[in-house]
Amino acid sequence: MKNWRYIVYAVVIVLAISLPFYTGAYHQHVATTILMFLTLALSWDMLIRAGQLSFGIAGFFGVGGYAAAITYLNWDISPFLSIALGGLAAFVIALVLGFAVLRLRGMYFAITTLALAEIFRVIVRNWSSLTGGPEGMVLPSTIFGGDSAQIYWLLLAIAIATIIVSEVFQRTRIHFALTSIRNNETVAKASGVDIFKYLVLAFAITSAIQGIVGGAYAQIYGFVSPEGSFHLDFTLLPLAMALLGGMYSTPGPVVGGLVLGIVAEYLKLQIPYGHLLVYGVIIVVVILFMPKGIVGTIRERLQRR
Amino acid sequence: MQLLSKLKQRNYQIAIACIIVAVILAIWKPSVLIYGSQRAGLYASIAIPMALILGVVGIINLAHGQFMMLGAYLAYWISVSTGADPLVAMVPVFLAMFVVGMLTYRGCIKYVLKAPELNQLLLTFGLAMILEQLANLLWTSQPVKAHVGYASASASIGSFTFGTFDFVNVAMAIAILIALLLFLKRTRTGQAALAVGQNPRGAKLVGINIDRTYLLIFSISIAIVGALGALFLTRHSIFPLVGGTYTLKSFCLVAMAGIGNLTGVLWCSLGLGLAEAFIMSFKGYGGWADMVFFALIIIVIIVRSYQRRVI
Amino acid sequence: MSTLETESLTKRFGGLTALNKVNFELRENEILGIIGPNGAGKTTLINVISGIYLPNSGKVIFDGKDITALPAHIRCRLGIGRTFQLIRPLENLNLLQNIMVGSLFGQGAGLREARKKAEEICEFLGLLQSERDITKLTVLEIKKMEIAHALATKPKILFLDEIMAGLNIDETKEIIEAVRRVRTQGVTICVVEHVMSVIKELTERVIVLDGGEIIAQGPYEEVSNNPRVISAYLGEER
Repeated sequence: MKNWRYIVYAVVIVLAISLPFYTGAYHQHVATTILMFLTLALSWDMLIRAGQLSFGIAGFFGVGGYAAAITYLNWDISPFLSIALGGLAAFVIALVLGFAVLRLRGMYFAITTLALAEIFRVIVRNWSSLTGGPEGMVLPSTIFGGDSAQIYWLLLAIAIATIIVSEVFQRTRIHFALTSIRNNETVAKASGVDIFKYLVLAFAITSAIQGIVGGAYAQIYGFVSPEGSFHLDFTLLPLAMALLGGMYSTPGPVVGGLVLGIVAEYLKLQIPYGHLLVYGVIIVVVILFMPKGIVGTIRERLQRR
Repeated sequence: MQLLSKLKQRNYQIAIACIIVAVILAIWKPSVLIYGSQRAGLYASIAIPMALILGVVGIINLAHGQFMMLGAYLAYWISVSTGADPLVAMVPVFLAMFVVGMLTYRGCIKYVLKAPELNQLLLTFGLAMILEQLANLLWTSQPVKAHVGYASASASIGSFTFGTFDFVNVAMAIAILIALLLFLKRTRTGQAALAVGQNPRGAKLVGINIDRTYLLIFSISIAIVGALGALFLTRHSIFPLVGGTYTLKSFCLVAMAGIGNLTGVLWCSLGLGLAEAFIMSFKGYGGWADMVFFALIIIVIIVRSYQRRVI
Repeated sequence: MSTLETESLTKRFGGLTALNKVNFELRENEILGIIGPNGAGKTTLINVISGIYLPNSGKVIFDGKDITALPAHIRCRLGIGRTFQLIRPLENLNLLQNIMVGSLFGQGAGLREARKKAEEICEFLGLLQSERDITKLTVLEIKKMEIAHALATKPKILFLDEIMAGLNIDETKEIIEAVRRVRTQGVTICVVEHVMSVIKELTERVIVLDGGEIIAQGPYEEVSNNPRVISAYLGEER
């Protein structure tokens, strides 16, 4: 009976890969955006599995974007390499900062990540010689020449890679480490878990993912700017998605991403303004009434039977 | 009470350090002292209500600055539709925001008090977004301003001219602090609130209605911060996202001063306000001033975590 | 030959001295009891030895090595295992997984090996249906899980912090039996208890703590008749 799950996955993957063949550019664009935010939601979730709440997704997203743009503009490299370098930059910065910042817990950590994102933005806005200042920078060309199908496949690849990383986090000893840290650090410590090592690792890896997505975004739109690349949307939406879908698992953020992404697109067409309001309302409503999210609540109901 | 005297000691140390710095600045760069303390007053007055909520109710309100923004827009609306001065509008705004605080508490805050901190942070984060977007819908993202003549009042010392209106912020901060301290220490309701903040279960056992205490403290804070929005309107142009920075900076100040230390917030604001103004006084580095604030805060939080370190 | 000793161990919390120059010795493969009135510093001693707290001064020496500066998780891997007085299991993991954590990180086992080890320990202690949700366990099962968790880290020394609290006579007997079996595997055991009958039956040597200091040492009969010990428990007119 367990095999039905794999069949479903296979079908979904086939559908996903073949999407550009049965849809037009508009839908491919929407799907790309959904995949982007879904990946960010998953990366956020991976850190919260260790009990650390981050409000700084936009920070590393922007860092990745700028790193990709700067390397692409100054060196003769392929767009793909620039995206990878975006991820690497985010990874290294998170690693270094992590040593200081991961001593913090709870709201102190959360607010510090928010402050870090702001600091990145301020640095980028002021270091004009490197980053082009408040006007940002334009890239000479967009990746794939703007072909929406190839862009979609790029992001699909990134999303699938992230799902794989998330599952690695769930199925290996990392799951035990992060969960024990989240549940009770003293017990974890006394059981031999090197808390700091796992927190730094989780922080660096998830930041790298955010950097890669940021780099891809920069290459797709061919443009980076302090306000655009560090926009709070990149923190807010993934958060809402992971919350809605259910935290602490892979299916949760994915489901939340798909649901919210599709709803968001629909809303954007119906209500041109104020769709962001809906995200805020969703966060509040989910916390109050369905804190386990869609997947979590379903799982709970199933277990009760 | 042992703790209070210890906190006071640290406050005295910070106070002395600040006085020394102030004297140095008065001689070298008087503009930094003036603008720095004005900004400090602004930050302190906004941060102290957050410290109150955190100390008594024990919850971080990430929508704090956004409530101030709401108050500012309310004042704007009142002043535009009735022609009243925003300062006068402070009174109805205070009352209105008190009601808003009550509704917010009853509607959602109440339910996450027992939930993990994560839920509280996310809930108030969502609230902040809702407030910002509501403001965006109702008033668009175009900045608006109230034009009041007295806001541009200025004075001169020698060849140096500076705006004087902003000293209102300093007066405000001190007034709020004194009022709250008096309330907390001298009135029965206030003492009850302090008790609840230190030991909710114990307070309940002696018959204090915790829920009502939380409701009162929360609503008072929101009311104060909303009224401050009206004051803010007189000197700054407002736009829906204006609150975000203040939420962040308020939290930073509260974290720096330590939970429950209202007076400390005043001194920390002074320090940070002066630091900000100091950076801004160097031509060309103005944009970095914002960052200094955050960086300093992060450093303090981290140093603090080393001091409290168990292993 | 002592497996663990502390030299002049001192731990202060603000104005309160919880441990005052404690010189404490744990001999290989013995079952040592630690008793003392509430607030004597028993749990603090365990916390400092296992690395949850850093002492203000003094040393902890394990197997001849000075481990005073080592972090808790390293000490666990070196062989110091302990249970917690206020048992709060990891709520998002089931019973078996809770135990596996010890094996994965305290022993460094791989996932499959950790699982096997955990199942073996469950059998050893009489814990059935190991994949259960921890919210559905009885008090006795929770205690067993706590011991199992510590055992999974392959300790050389095991500190049991008031593990008998809340158990009835039969359940206490079961745990005593289990502790004896653990000792036969070569583990040195240190039992902190309030239940004197357990101390009397289980331990070979007893240390009495009061106000952060050791006030008596020796076999139970000797120590329980010591007037200083009696007054520590009952109070004394000064």
